[in-house]
Amino acid sequence: MTATQTMIITYLGTPIFGICLSLAVFLLGQWLFKISKGFFLFQPLFVGMVLGIFVLWLMARAFGVDTTWFYTNAYKPGGDVIFWFLNPATIAFAVPLYKRNDIVKRFWLEILLSLIIGLFISLFLIYFVAKTIGMDNNGIASMLPQAATTAIAMPISGAIGGTPAITAMACILNAVLIYALATWLIKIFHLTEPVGQGLGLGTAGHTVGSAKAIQLSSAAGAMAAIAVVIISIVVDLVVPTFAHMMGLIH
Amino acid sequence: MADKLKNSQDVKPETKETKDAPILIQMGIFAGILFVSSIISPMFPASFPVPTPVIGLVLLYLLLTVHVIKIEWVEKFANFLIGFIAFLFVPSGIQLTASLDIMRAQGVQLVATIVISTVILLVVIAYTASFFIWVKKTVFKRDVSVQE
Repeated sequence: MTATQTMIITYLGTPIFGICLSLAVFLLGQWLFKISKGFFLFQPLFVGMVLGIFVLWLMARAFGVDTTWFYTNAYKPGGDVIFWFLNPATIAFAVPLYKRNDIVKRFWLEILLSLIIGLFISLFLIYFVAKTIGMDNNGIASMLPQAATTAIAMPISGAIGGTPAITAMACILNAVLIYALATWLIKIFHLTEPVGQGLGLGTAGHTVGSAKAIQLSSAAGAMAAIAVVIISIVVDLVVPTFAHMMGLIH
Repeated sequence: MADKLKNSQDVKPETKETKDAPILIQMGIFAGILFVSSIISPMFPASFPVPTPVIGLVLLYLLLTVHVIKIEWVEKFANFLIGFIAFLFVPSGIQLTASLDIMRAQGVQLVATIVISTVILLVVIAYTASFFIWVKKTVFKRDVSVQE
């Protein structure tokens, strides 16, 4: 280990650097979003992500160390502290779900059918798109499990011949994109029905999509929360079967 | 009589108003559920992974539904957590720093596929749900109006 690397670990290796950087880029994003009067590319999460990556890349270059090494040793300790709180935050969605138990009781069959059949149709379309864009089998397999949360999507990806890291990237981008574009997409595709809105947002945007759905209506929020749970289990069951069907695994 | 009426009016709003549990107790309930979930999660086979927070969501939902946990014991802390979930996701976004090499190699293809896939998932699932609700309404003549 070089002297620079030792210095970086001593001064930036504690969680506080990662926490401060995360807060700084996110707050800057919020400020930009406010002064641009809600320009969609200035969504705080998107700005935070791009700016955070840029700052880490720049610092790694300035210190003359590898970017991935710098990320792992300087940012990750603090990033992990914040990341951990996604655990209780996901559990918290039981509350909006419970508060609209009336919809769950009335539409449970439609919810289940929509998620299973909707996912099957989506898988065919995603397979077709990936193939058209010119991805190899490994790339296609990495794209298929992205409807599930990262913790489920990654092992499934590995099991069907994909690359878990690429699948994780897809899950993360899903959330960032939905957070930035949901309002606009709902408008141009005329998604007016709250049950459909919620199930779609929960599937495409995971937990972040659910937070977005709550802003639309309590009904959509509850449906997004239930979608996150059910779609993960459906992906567990359906994606390996689908990959087998398309000849990705034998 | 008048006294009694006055009394009941005094009492009523207080009993009607739900009392939030202290925040430390709310955190305690979340911690407990998270702990139990983290013990259940490894029991699932590797080929059928169910992560801790998903189990926790189901567990808290079931406990609320069977009225073991009251909504006022968890609502305030839950809303607090949901309120800043976008911030909690920042480290996941920055995590992509570690994938810059993959991005450099096949970034355009990947990002294009992911963007289109996200739109596909949102639109297809939403339309499928609308279709089934339309079937319920027109074929089975059920009421499908949802109070937002």
